[in-house]
Amino acid sequence: MSNHEHHDTAHQPVHRKEMTRRQFLAYTLGGTTAFLAAGPVLPMVRFAVDPILTKKTEGTYVKVVEESKITSEPQEFKFQIHQVDGWYESDPELAAWIAKDDQGNIFALSPICKHLGCTINWNTQKDNQYFCPCHEAKYTKEGKNLRVAPNPLDEYDLKLENGFIYLGPVKPNTKV
Amino acid sequence: MFKGIYNWIDERLDITPMWRDVADHEVPEHVNPAHHFSAFVYCFGGLTFFITVIQILSGMFLTMYYVPDIINAYASVDYLQHKVAFGGIVRAMHHWGASLVIVMMFLHTLRVFFTGSYKAPREMNWVVGMLIFFIMLGLGLTGYLLPWDNKAYFATKVTLQIAESVPYLGPYIKELLNGGEIVGAQTLTRFFAIHVFFLPGALLALLAAHFFMIRKQGISGPL
Amino acid sequence: MAHGHNSKEKVVFVGDSRVKKGSMVNIPPDFTAFPGKSEAFIPYFLLKEWMVGVVVLVGFLVLTIAHPAPLGYPADPMNAAFIPMPDWYFLFMYQLLKYPYVAGDYVVLGVMGIPGLAFGALLLAPFLDTGKERRFYRRPIASALMLLSLISVVYLTKVSWDHYQGQLEATGTKPEHIIREEKAREAYEKGQPAPSVVKRAKPIAIVAEDDPALELMKQNNCLSCHASDLNGNSGIPALRGIGDQFTKEELANVVTNGNGNMPAFKDKLSAAEIDQIATWLSKQKKAE
Repeated sequence: MSNHEHHDTAHQPVHRKEMTRRQFLAYTLGGTTAFLAAGPVLPMVRFAVDPILTKKTEGTYVKVVEESKITSEPQEFKFQIHQVDGWYESDPELAAWIAKDDQGNIFALSPICKHLGCTINWNTQKDNQYFCPCHEAKYTKEGKNLRVAPNPLDEYDLKLENGFIYLGPVKPNTKV
Repeated sequence: MFKGIYNWIDERLDITPMWRDVADHEVPEHVNPAHHFSAFVYCFGGLTFFITVIQILSGMFLTMYYVPDIINAYASVDYLQHKVAFGGIVRAMHHWGASLVIVMMFLHTLRVFFTGSYKAPREMNWVVGMLIFFIMLGLGLTGYLLPWDNKAYFATKVTLQIAESVPYLGPYIKELLNGGEIVGAQTLTRFFAIHVFFLPGALLALLAAHFFMIRKQGISGPL
Repeated sequence: MAHGHNSKEKVVFVGDSRVKKGSMVNIPPDFTAFPGKSEAFIPYFLLKEWMVGVVVLVGFLVLTIAHPAPLGYPADPMNAAFIPMPDWYFLFMYQLLKYPYVAGDYVVLGVMGIPGLAFGALLLAPFLDTGKERRFYRRPIASALMLLSLISVVYLTKVSWDHYQGQLEATGTKPEHIIREEKAREAYEKGQPAPSVVKRAKPIAIVAEDDPALELMKQNNCLSCHASDLNGNSGIPALRGIGDQFTKEELANVVTNGNGNMPAFKDKLSAAEIDQIATWLSKQKKAE
């Protein structure tokens, strides 16, 4: 076999796949350029995209109110969370509307309207609904969107411990 | 596909001559260290430019985290250096690059001086080069204040004190740079604006002029 | 016509009056005086230039990884112990101002005169040194002046730096960024987080939160204006830390008789109750 092959190639014109000197230099130049560019830029890019690569901190639960104060009528409760935003630490105040549903389960809704982010209020129209003053969006007590808004109100993660309600991170509504 | 796109643009804008002009122009052999090792002295100009590019890039990335405000400036520098991945390296690039660019530029200036390359017809390019040198010193001076630590604060205070001793204009220069009576919030924003917008803008314009003249006049012949 | 043209080959428009016929006015000297002694910019020249660039870049990256940029403590205008230092490339000018005849009454000479002369001469070098000769050993005056300036710059920088080191030693101070690094390393070796040096205004805590006075205040609607977290509202003072501003007697007086927007409570609360509230409020001091 090998003899046969040898015989074949011997009769063909020599056609070695070889780079020209110019091509070789062009590739080397390209490689050097890539190194010179990547050397300084890669650390900077890693530096810039750091926020999406850092591990998100687990949501902590904040003690808000005694369980006994919750009625089937939604009430607004304010609570503070500790927020670390880069070099800026703050304790912003958040609000939650907490109520009992028909089965007696306690749930907490975020007051941020799902339409354009205004703040909703309970029963300002005397119709037992959440109402957003910006574009008159309405929600049921469970947060189901009735008009204008595209989605139901968000819900807080909720934990009961020793008769107190603890609220955690916001999640999509699970009631409706 | 790239060839297709290239041809499409080239038909309309005739871009080939632009880059062929740069790519194919002849450069004398005597500046190439591969021919005479001592010719490495001709590399300092290019290296100055390379470090300058690193400075501009790292500076752009640093401003993603930095705030020019006396309450937050230090905290943000502290955060980006110690909490952000690679922050120490990016800030080190900008810090050491600032020194390196001065060193390279200094060596480049000495090379041009001792090879007499500033002589006719290249006088204007020398003047532009010196202006670039002054701009770089200004960038170093204004950038020194930005981390807002004790070293930055007191060095700037002393610098402004020196500026004040200029006859007649001194107090005005000082107040203009201070942006007020003391080295404080307004000084920091001023130095930031000068460091990030005014001087780099002037630098880019002067660099363009510098390169244009080199291209137009060619590198000076061998001694 | 141009439309429907699918070829990938470049079209050259002929006779388009908008496009000037390419005339290369920008032709640099082609070094024909040195036949065979020149080469194309790309790839020959640039490649070698960039090989040098690679060497420098590797060294530079090693430096940045090995030596982080120094960062001291936040600027404190009251810090009298700090020894100010400019960046190293300004040291020669900084040192110059320490000598007599360029300081004090003659400071103009040190600030404007000598640096102005030196940098002015450097800026205008091509117009001062107008001879045709380029070799440095054939133009002794220019070269000698440059060498002299170089030596003095190096000398002044060294003197200034040595003086700074001497001062550090004499006062027994270490540069702040070094202290910081050492503390961070110590903390790291003990497994603690690096000490934070950023000062932060801590929220003022409520003192004795379980005191019945607070309940009394809730019942009397104090907190509807002063906020349920006692942080106040716009125009209404925070009650946290109020004990730092007023004495118990002053507080009792304000609660009893009112003050500006603050209503008087003498009809709603008994003197004993007001005393109880004022006592509690006067305890609201910022924790040190």
